[in-house]
Amino acid sequence: MGKNYRKALSLLTATVLALSLAGCGGGGSDKAQKSGNTGASGGEEKIQLKVYAQHFDEDTAKPFDYAVAELKKEMPNVEIILDEAVQDGYQKLKTYAATGNMPDIYDTDWATLQTFAKAQNVEVLDDYPETAEFKAKLNKGVESKLVAPDGHVYAFPYPGIEFQLIYYNKEIFEKVGIQTPIKTYDQMIEASNKLSAAGYIPMAIFAKEKWITTAFYAGLVTREQGTTGYGDLEAKGTTAMPDPFVRAAEEMYKLKEANLFDANATNTNYDQASAQFYSGKAAMFVNGQWEIYSSTEKLGDKVDWMYWPAKDEAAYESGKGFINGSGAPGGFAVSPSSKHKDVAVKVASFLAQKYGEYKYTQLGSPITAIKVDKPITVEVPPMMKRIAEEVLPNATQYMTPINNVQIKNAIDDSTQNMLVKGYTVQQFVDNINRVMARENK
Amino acid sequence: MNRYLSNKKAIILFLLPALLIYSVVIIYPVLQTFYRSFFNWDGLSAATWNGIANYLDLFHDPLLITSLCNGLIFAVVLVVFQIGLGTILALACADPRIKARKLLKTAYFIPVVLSVTVVCQLWIAMYDPTNGLINRLFSLLHIPYQQNWLTSPTASIIAIAFVNAWQFMGYQFSLLYAGVKSIPEQYMEAATIDGCSKWMAHLKVTLPLMKETYKFCFIVAITSGIGAFVQMLIMTNGGPGTSNYTLTFMIYRYAFLESNYGYACAVSVVLVSLSLLATIVINKTFDRNEA
Repeated sequence: MGKNYRKALSLLTATVLALSLAGCGGGGSDKAQKSGNTGASGGEEKIQLKVYAQHFDEDTAKPFDYAVAELKKEMPNVEIILDEAVQDGYQKLKTYAATGNMPDIYDTDWATLQTFAKAQNVEVLDDYPETAEFKAKLNKGVESKLVAPDGHVYAFPYPGIEFQLIYYNKEIFEKVGIQTPIKTYDQMIEASNKLSAAGYIPMAIFAKEKWITTAFYAGLVTREQGTTGYGDLEAKGTTAMPDPFVRAAEEMYKLKEANLFDANATNTNYDQASAQFYSGKAAMFVNGQWEIYSSTEKLGDKVDWMYWPAKDEAAYESGKGFINGSGAPGGFAVSPSSKHKDVAVKVASFLAQKYGEYKYTQLGSPITAIKVDKPITVEVPPMMKRIAEEVLPNATQYMTPINNVQIKNAIDDSTQNMLVKGYTVQQFVDNINRVMARENK
Repeated sequence: MNRYLSNKKAIILFLLPALLIYSVVIIYPVLQTFYRSFFNWDGLSAATWNGIANYLDLFHDPLLITSLCNGLIFAVVLVVFQIGLGTILALACADPRIKARKLLKTAYFIPVVLSVTVVCQLWIAMYDPTNGLINRLFSLLHIPYQQNWLTSPTASIIAIAFVNAWQFMGYQFSLLYAGVKSIPEQYMEAATIDGCSKWMAHLKVTLPLMKETYKFCFIVAITSGIGAFVQMLIMTNGGPGTSNYTLTFMIYRYAFLESNYGYACAVSVVLVSLSLLATIVINKTFDRNEA
């Protein structure tokens, strides 16, 4: 028995040791695959750069592939290794940062950049010549996409400042007898009543996503405030919502009470809301300007967009230049741990420019961060033409973004709640004031 | 065998791998979470000592009250539906007079093996206020009870808890059924000879003898209620607003949406403590009744 016992012990020890060795030895192969590799190729140094970018559908894959193809012509010695981003609120990227495994270049948003800047996981691009060149090419009014509120440049942006519009079905409006465009809140309430009575959902909204309710509210804020946007809510010492924000909440409440939104709005996702609009069940739809392509494809010339209503026609006319969109920094950033940091900065800038070029030349979108000097190669939808000719040249001010995540989340929660029956303006104001009082001390 | 059991070195040696894995996967993260709850930490930068500030903030956070209330409601719905109904069904299926018992047992267990996402999508469709099956059913029966099931800040948590209860009732049912079947039939026969009706015999004999099974079922139901998350995430994303938040949803928000890991750790400590407390209370309650 003693012999068997010793045998069992030996076997167990050997197994544990083998497992431990296998575990310890596992990391070796990774090192060889780590990004930033170099190798001789035709006499010129071959540089591999890992790029973490979105590449999951046509909208994200095509500009990336275009930019990479252009890069091959411009920098043939640079090879891009795509690390496909997942829609996880940048958790994968944060895990890379936490484990010291950052890609050379990554596409991210302002909230993540702020965290990365604190943890020194993002290269500050202020003094690179590429930044100065990029700045010189920027479109009018989009500086806030490049230069962060702290004065630093962390990433090269590719879209311009995107904004939200109210789309409407002209055919339904005509059938129900609603005059367009709707200019005032009262007209919107009247239209909502008429549409409800005729059996339509007045406005489709995918309010399961909180950002769209915040965007809707922001549209009203631009009409009441007309100046600086959500940035006002995070000013040091501000503990109560300024009047324009309260008035905008009151108008949103009135619109909700006029049944502007579907009863199930806060549980409706994009697919459902857009289906309501495309199928003619809903007369209006709120979404960003990127919706133009899908709406045109589904509804043809039956669809158009209108400006946000205001308290009266004069306010409506004067408010047209205040755009319901804000430009937070974001785009292609560079990891400070990249072995080829200088090349990575060049490539990041190049990719961002080529993304913009693709959007302009291949999609006809004028909402790009940089000016593009190549011609548009496709037929531009009439709604997009209106934006290029009517909105962008007359844009007097974009909204300032909000940097404080806690206040932003409070606005998101409260605006979504505003679509629910029984939720009052006072509850809305109290909730945001409470968070502001805590955060703006 | 006794020689092995009396050899402490051998026992330690054989326990060590499991203990190591358990320590690395469970104990170390729990201790780290507790330790990190005293820091201001975004998950990436160096953490700064914060004392009990996270806990003080947490106890003033209105989300905590919402989450605790929702956790309680969730737990109550699970207990009532899973254990209450599960018991009735288990007793019924154990009765040889009931026809098609095998079919019923399988039917009750089918939702357990379905994907949570599939089940949630199914119920989202059923809860739809205009086209959903439930409101349509009320209309069909001429009952004027039309609800916005998932958009109502008050009704939605019950509606969501019901989905969880419906899906995992089969799991509790299988435990309870096994408990019922483990009781020797002579006890029931003796009770019947003494003049007990079938249901009275179950009440006086079967249920008290299933104390250990119930203890486990209560622990599973109540801790699942306190830590509920997936159904809210899929069905309402915690909304409208924050009305469907639970403690786990708070952790998700503060850690992953706000990068406030120190605070999220404090919420995690509260969650773990509450689950432990619930387990202790359930154990004590059942043990006291035994004494």
